[in-house]
Amino acid sequence: MLFQRFGKFDGGIDLPEEKEATIDEPIRPAEGLSSLRVPLSPCGGAVAVPTVGVGTQVAAGQQIAAGRDGGVDIFTPLAGTVKSITTAAVAVGREQLTAPAVELTDLGHSPPIPEGQTVFAWTDADSDALAERIAEGQLTTLRAKPQPLVQWLADARAAGCDHLIVNAIQGQPFVTADHRLLVEHGADIVAGLAILAKAAGIPTVTIAVDQQRVSDYPELLSGTAEYSINRVALPRKYPISVDNILLEVLTRKEVPCGGKPGDIGIAVIDAATCFAAYRWVACSQRLNGRVVTVSGERTSRPGNWFTPYGADCRVMARADEDGPVILGGPMIGQVAADGAVTSPGVDAVLATDPTPPGTPVQCIRCGWCRDHCPARLNVAMLNDHYELGHVSQAERLGALSCVECGVCSYVCPARLPLTERVRQLKSSIRRWRQTMPLFQDVAEKQGDA
Amino acid sequence: MKSPAVTTAQSLPDPQVLSAADQSPLLRAPEKVHHILSVTIAAACLPLLAGIVLFGWQAALVAMLSITACGLTEWLYFRVTHTPAMLGRTHAYLTGVLLALTLPPTTPWFIVIIAAVFAILVGKAIFGGVGHFLWQPALVGRFAVAVIVPALAPLLPAGTLSPDALSPEKWGVLTPQALLLGNVENTAKPENYQGWQHDYKYKNAKTGRTVNPLEGKDAYALEHPADTLAGLSRGQPRYSSLARVRTDLPNRPPAALTSMPPMWDMFIGARPGGLGETCAVIIIIAGLYLIYRNYVKWQLPFAFLASAMIVAAVAPVHFAGPNKSVEIVFFPLLSEGFEVGYTYVNYQVLSGSMLLAAFLLATEMTSCPVTTGGQIIFGIGGGAAAMLLTLYLDTPIPAYIAVLGMNTFTPTIDAIWRPRVFGQRHLAWLLKSRR
Ligand code: SF4
Ligand code: SF4
Repeated sequence: MLFQRFGKFDGGIDLPEEKEATIDEPIRPAEGLSSLRVPLSPCGGAVAVPTVGVGTQVAAGQQIAAGRDGGVDIFTPLAGTVKSITTAAVAVGREQLTAPAVELTDLGHSPPIPEGQTVFAWTDADSDALAERIAEGQLTTLRAKPQPLVQWLADARAAGCDHLIVNAIQGQPFVTADHRLLVEHGADIVAGLAILAKAAGIPTVTIAVDQQRVSDYPELLSGTAEYSINRVALPRKYPISVDNILLEVLTRKEVPCGGKPGDIGIAVIDAATCFAAYRWVACSQRLNGRVVTVSGERTSRPGNWFTPYGADCRVMARADEDGPVILGGPMIGQVAADGAVTSPGVDAVLATDPTPPGTPVQCIRCGWCRDHCPARLNVAMLNDHYELGHVSQAERLGALSCVECGVCSYVCPARLPLTERVRQLKSSIRRWRQTMPLFQDVAEKQGDA
Repeated sequence: MKSPAVTTAQSLPDPQVLSAADQSPLLRAPEKVHHILSVTIAAACLPLLAGIVLFGWQAALVAMLSITACGLTEWLYFRVTHTPAMLGRTHAYLTGVLLALTLPPTTPWFIVIIAAVFAILVGKAIFGGVGHFLWQPALVGRFAVAVIVPALAPLLPAGTLSPDALSPEKWGVLTPQALLLGNVENTAKPENYQGWQHDYKYKNAKTGRTVNPLEGKDAYALEHPADTLAGLSRGQPRYSSLARVRTDLPNRPPAALTSMPPMWDMFIGARPGGLGETCAVIIIIAGLYLIYRNYVKWQLPFAFLASAMIVAAVAPVHFAGPNKSVEIVFFPLLSEGFEVGYTYVNYQVLSGSMLLAAFLLATEMTSCPVTTGGQIIFGIGGGAAAMLLTLYLDTPIPAYIAVLGMNTFTPTIDAIWRPRVFGQRHLAWLLKSRR
C-alpha cells in the first residue's frame, strides 16, 4: 500500500476547489518588487532590534536585527539599501499586527529557490546537535500563526510528544503553495521532516496529504520509505486540514477541550517548515522567504511565487483596482490591512472579492451550523449565549473545543458571523477564568446551572 | 522620517493589533434564509393546489384570505411596535399558507382572519418574531380557532356560525367525477356514483336479498373516515372487527374496513378534511422535495410516521362482540391477520392530518430541535402522541395538538440531547465535568 487510507470526522463541507489557476504553475521567483519592508516581529512577539543604520548597504542574507525575548534574528532576503525603519502590517494567526519593519530599497535580483548542496552531515548528528543547529538558524515555523522553530522544538520536547504529524493538506480553496513545494522539493521536505523528528526525539512520523494529489508526489514515496515515515492520503473534505481534526482522523485521539495537540502527545508541523529546516540544517541556506500562491479573479499573474519576506501584498497580488486582497486562504484568512507585507504566516495572497456577507438576520434554527461543525458544537445555542452574554453557559457547551474552521459562518443561511462570535466567546472564557477564578466553585456548587 | 543610525530597543513600538479577522470566512455558501422560506412556501403550495382542485374555489378563497390576513397582521404589528421586521413578511406568508392547509374549505371568513391574527400575534410576534417562537405559529392559529369556534357560536345570531363548523363531519368533499365544480352542497350527484360503498353488500338472512344499506350516499354525506375508525378505539364500536372475516355468520354487522373509502381515494385526497390535509401523494412529494433540498431532515418525518404507525399497530381497539358486548383487542396489527392489520394501520395514518403534520408542520425549523438525534426524539414523541390523541380523544386536530405539545419540549430536548463535543469526555454535560 503506497498511501494508507484513513477515517472520517463528523460534519465538514465540500468547498469549491478553485485551484486550477495555480495548481500546475511551477514555483518562480517573485517579480516586480521595488522595495521590501522586512517585519521585525514575524511571530508577533518582542520586536527584534535593528543592527544596521539607515542608509547602510546590505547584502542578501545579512543579519539586520537581533531578536530578543525569544524572538528570532532577522536577515535580509535580498541585497539592498536600508531606507528607513518603518512599520508594516503582519498577519499572525487571525490578527494583523502593525509592527516595526526595516525598509529596503535598491533591491538586488530576486533569486529562485537555490539548489541544495548538502554541507552538514545531519544523518550522523544526534538530537541535541540538530537542535543546536536549528537554534542557530533562527527559523520560524511557516504556519498561519508562526512561532520560532526553537520554540516549537522546545514545546514538542517538553510535552513528550511521541508522534509527529505533517499537515500537508491544503484544504482551503485557491491555495497551492505547499502542494507545489511537495511536487518540486518532495525529497527535501521528507529529509527536513526526518531532521525535525530526530531533533525533537519523536519516533513515529506521519505525513498526511490530499488523496487527490498523491500521484503528483513521487519524490515523497521514495523519501518516506527511506526514513520510515508513514504516508497517509486523506479525502478532501474541509476542514480536514485543521490540526485538531486531522489528529482525530489519524489517531482517533481528540485534543481536549481548549487544549493543544501537545496535550495528547502529538506535534504538528507543515511541509514548508520542513523544507526550510532541511535547507538550513543540511545546506546552510536560510531561505528568508516562502512560496506564496497568488490567485483570484482580479490578479493579472496567478502563480506560485518564491517571495522574500516583506514584499508588499498589494504589489504581489498585482490586482488592477483597489479591491480587497485576502491573506491566507479564504476560510481562515483575512482581508489585508493597509501596508500588509508577506511574512512566514502568509501562504497565499488572493485578489478575489469576499462573498458579501449580507445583512445578518436572526438565527432560524436550521441546525446547519451544528450539522457541519467538525467539533460537534451546537453553534446555534452558542450564538444565543453570545447574544445574551452568557459566557459561562457557552463554556459549558464546550465552546473552547471550536477549531475556528469557519464552517459555521460559511453555511449559516442567516449570515450570522458565527465563527467570529465563537472566537470572541473563547477569548472571553479564557479572560473570565483568569479574572474570576472563584466563579468556578460557585458554578459547581449551584449544580452547574 | 528621521531615525537614529542604529535604533535601540526602547525606541521601537511593540506590535499593536491592527485588525482581527472578524469577517472570516470570506466565502459564504449561497443559500440564505429567504431562499429557505420561499422554497418552503413553494412546497407548501403544492398541497394547497391539490386542495383547490379537490375542494373547489372556496378553498382558494380561504387560502387567499389566510395569506393576506397573516401578511397584514405582520405588517401592522411591526408598523405599530417599530421593531425591525427582519424576514417577517416572507415568514408571515409561509404561515398563511400553512394555516390555510389546516383549515376546512368551508371555514367562514371571519374565522380565517381570527386564526391568522392569532397565528401571527400570539404564535410569532410576542416571542420576538422569526427564529424565536416556541410553537409553530400556523398551528397556534389553528388551535386557537378550534377552541374559539364552539365558544363563539352560541353568542352569534343563529345561523351565522355553526358550533361544529370546524369539525370533520360537516366538511364536504367533491367526488372524483365532479372536481372543480365549486360549492360542495350544490354538487349534482352523478347517477351511478355509489360513494365509498361500492363493493359493500351483504346478504340479509331474513329476506334472503343482497342489500347495500348505505346505497346512494355519496362521499359528502358519509362521515369522516377518521370518525369511522374512531368508533373502534373510543369504545362505541359499530363493527365487529377490522375485516369481514366471518361472513358466514348471518346478520353480522359490517366490518370496519369495508365501510372505509377505497385506499386510492385516501391517497389522492378525495375525502373530507382540511384544505391541504387530504392529498397524501402531494404532501409526500412536497415533503420529499424539502428533504431533497436539505431543508428538512428525513429522520423527523420518518420517525414521526413510524412511531404513529407502531402505536396504531399495538394500541387496543374495541370490537363489538355478540349480544352487544364489547371486547377489547390488543395488537390490532396481528389480531386478524397481518394483511388486515396493515391496511388498518395505513387507514389510521392516512385518514387524519398525520402526513401534513409530519412533513410540513413538525419540520418547521425554529420550533423543532436542532440536532438530528433531538429531531428523532421529537418525531417519535410527536407521532406517538398524535396517534394516541387520534385514537382516544375526541378532537378534530389530534396531530396538530401533538406537534404543539412536542414544540413545548423542544428547548428541553435541545438541552438534553447533546452530541459529545470534540475533546470532551463522554456525557460530560451530565457528569458536571467542566473540562
Ligand atoms: S446555521 Fe445560522 S440560522 Fe442555522 S441554526 Fe446555525 S446560527 Fe441559526
Ligand atoms: S464552531 Fe468553531 S469548529 Fe464549529 S464550525 Fe464554527 S468555527 Fe468550526
